[in-house]
Amino acid sequence: MQLPSLALLFATVLQGTPSQDDGQWTMPGKDYASRRYSALAQITRANVTRLKPLWSFSTGVLGGHEGQPLVVGSTMYVVTPFPNVLYAFDLTREGYPLRWKYRPDVNPTAVGVACCDAINRGAVYAAGKIVYNLLDGHTVAVDANTGRELWKTQIADMGQGETTPMAPFIVRDRVLVGPSGGEFGIYGWVKALDLASGKILWTAHNMGPDSLMIARPGTFTGGANLGVSTWSGDSWRRGGAPVWGWISYDPQLDLIYFGTGNPGPYNTEQRPGENKWTNSVLARRPRDGALVWAYQFTPHDSWDFDANAEMILTDLVVGGRMRKVLVTFNKNGFAYTLDRATGELLVAEPFAHVTWAKGIDRRTGVPIVDSTKVTGASRGNVTGICPSLEGGKSPVSSSAYSPRTGLFYTATNNLCMNFEATQVTRIPATPFIGATTPYVAGPGGHLGAFIAWDAARGRKVWEIKERFPVWSGTVVTAGDVAFYGTLDGWFKAVDIRTGREVWKFKVGSGVVGAPITFRGPDGKQYVAVYAGIGGDWFLLSGDVRSDDPADLRPPADFAPDLARYTSQGGMVWIFGL
Amino acid sequence: MAAGGSQPPAGDLANPFAGDSTSATDGSKIFSTMNCDGCHGGGALGWVGPSLVDGRWRYGGTDGALYQSIFYGRPKGMPAYGGVMSPGAIWKVVTYIRAQPVPSVVPTQRWPGRETTRAP
Repeated sequence: MQLPSLALLFATVLQGTPSQDDGQWTMPGKDYASRRYSALAQITRANVTRLKPLWSFSTGVLGGHEGQPLVVGSTMYVVTPFPNVLYAFDLTREGYPLRWKYRPDVNPTAVGVACCDAINRGAVYAAGKIVYNLLDGHTVAVDANTGRELWKTQIADMGQGETTPMAPFIVRDRVLVGPSGGEFGIYGWVKALDLASGKILWTAHNMGPDSLMIARPGTFTGGANLGVSTWSGDSWRRGGAPVWGWISYDPQLDLIYFGTGNPGPYNTEQRPGENKWTNSVLARRPRDGALVWAYQFTPHDSWDFDANAEMILTDLVVGGRMRKVLVTFNKNGFAYTLDRATGELLVAEPFAHVTWAKGIDRRTGVPIVDSTKVTGASRGNVTGICPSLEGGKSPVSSSAYSPRTGLFYTATNNLCMNFEATQVTRIPATPFIGATTPYVAGPGGHLGAFIAWDAARGRKVWEIKERFPVWSGTVVTAGDVAFYGTLDGWFKAVDIRTGREVWKFKVGSGVVGAPITFRGPDGKQYVAVYAGIGGDWFLLSGDVRSDDPADLRPPADFAPDLARYTSQGGMVWIFGL
Repeated sequence: MAAGGSQPPAGDLANPFAGDSTSATDGSKIFSTMNCDGCHGGGALGWVGPSLVDGRWRYGGTDGALYQSIFYGRPKGMPAYGGVMSPGAIWKVVTYIRAQPVPSVVPTQRWPGRETTRAP
C-alpha cells in the first residue's frame, strides 16, 4: 500500500506540484511571481486541437489592446485602451451580458502625450475593487460588484509628458503605479497608493539624490547619490526611467521588483554617464518604498533598451545550487537570471540575435559593448544594431513559466536597426527623442519567433519561427499547452513538450494582448484573449487604420504586407472545448 | 501646453514664405528641433500622429489652416505651439509641409514586397 502512494508522490514532485488553482485570474501576471501559469488542466496538449471559439465581444475601441482580462468569481472584467472603458461580463448567463460598464471621465489630450498609441495594460483586483490607470495620469478604484467609482487619484502630470497605461499591482493594502514618458523626458518614479482611500503614501524616484530615491545610506557599495553622480549636471531631472511594465512581489523577502525604461533623450551625448537607474531592475519594500538593491542591465543606453519587462520569480538550480531567482527577457537581447535576494547576476545569455555587445561580464554584471555600435549625434548613422529598439522581446509581451517543465515561454522579435541620433530640445509634454531608427529583418528573414528558454543554463530549448514580430503575452497551463497570438491575427496553441503548434484560430485583428485561462461558473476551463493591433504596431504597420480619412500611410518597409492581414479593432474572445 | 480650443477663421492668413525653398529647408530643421517628428514621424509620414504628406487633412490643408493647427493645437493631442514658436518659425514649418510631394499612388491599393505563399 505504501509503494503506489510514494511513487505517485514522487511523480507529482517531478512534474511540479499541481497546486490548488482557484480558477480565477485576479492580477496581470496571474500570481505575485508573474508566472502566468495556470494549474487548470482540462485543456491539454492532446485535446486542444478541439478548442473552439465560444464567444466574442467588440469593445468598440480601436487602440492597441495590450494587457489581459480579469476573472473574479463569475465576472470577467475588461479594460479598453483610451477612453478606458471598464466592462463587467456576467459569466453565469448565456451570451455573457454586461452586469455594468464604467465609463470614466478621461482627458483626450492624453492621446497626444502617449508616445506609442493610446494603449492600456490592464486592471488588478483586490478587496472588492477593480483598480486601473486611466491614460491621463489617474488611478481609479471601482466597486467590483456595482461599477461605482470609489476613488480617483491623480498620480501623473501630463504637463511633463507623463501618461499612465501600465497595470497597477497590489500588495496587501498598497497599490503600486508608475508612468510612461521615456520619450518625453520625464523624471521617472513609482508610487504607492492606499487601496482603501487612494491616498498617495510614498513616491520613489528612479534617479536623483538618495533622498528622492528612498535609498538609505549604504544601500550601494559604489557610493551615495549614484542617481546624480552617474549623470551630467541636472540631466537626471529629465532623464526618463519610466515604469510602464509589470511588477512582481516576493512575500518571504517582502520585496517588489520592477523594471525601469530608457534614459532620455535617445541622443547619448546629452546625458554622459551611466544614467543610473535607467534600464534597471529595482527591488523595493512595498510598505515605505525603501530601495534594497538595483541592477542596471544597459548602462548609458545607446539603443532605447528599456528594462520594463516582467520579472518572473521562481526557484531554480543554478550551478548546482538551488537559488531564489528572478528571470527577465530584456529588450537588449539577453535573458537574465538574478538572485532576487541580492541582485547578484547568475546567468546572462542572448535569446535573440545580438550585435551591440559581445556578452555580459558575469563578475561585474556590465555588458561588453561593441564600441562601433555606440550611437550619438556626432557618430552619424550607426548601422547593423541588433536587436532593434522594439527589443529582442518587447516588455509588452509578458512571458510565462511552467513549474512542470522548469522552462520559460515567450514571444520574441528578430529585428535589427540603424540608429541616427540628433540633438533635441526638451519642450514639456512634447517628444524628447532625437533619433531616426529604421528597422530591417534579423538573420533568417523571419521577423519573430516563439521560444522555450532554460533560464538555469541560459539556452534556447526550441523555437517556432514567425513571419512577423511576435508581440503577444503568453499563458502556460498544467495541460502542457502554451497560448500566444500573432500580429497577423492568429491565436495559437503550442504543445510545450514538443514545441509544435497544434491549433490556431484567426481572431480578426493582430494580437498584442496576453491570453489568460480560467474556470467558468460551469466548472469548465476556458481561454480568453484580446485581439486589437496597436501600440508600436499602430505606428509601424503601415495602413492598419480605417477610421480616419485624413491619415493614409505607406507600408512599413521591413514588413510591407502586414496590413494585408490586419486592421485595427478591439475584440475579446473566449475559447473552450 | 493644452490641446484643442476654438479657432478663429483661417482662410485669409497669408504665408510670407510661400513656395520659398530655403524656408522649406529651415522648416524641415524646425520640424525636428521642435519635436514635431516625435509624433508625426520622420518625413512627416505619420507615427502616433497622422501623416502630413498624404494630401489628406482633418482640419484643412491651406497654409492658413496649417498655421492655425500649429499655433492653437487641435483635439486628440496636437499641442498648441503658439507660446513656444515665433510666427516666422511656424510659417517655415508650414512651408516645409506644403513643399512635400503627395504620393501619386494611394499606398493601400497594393502591397509591395514579397507575396505570401502560406496557405490560409
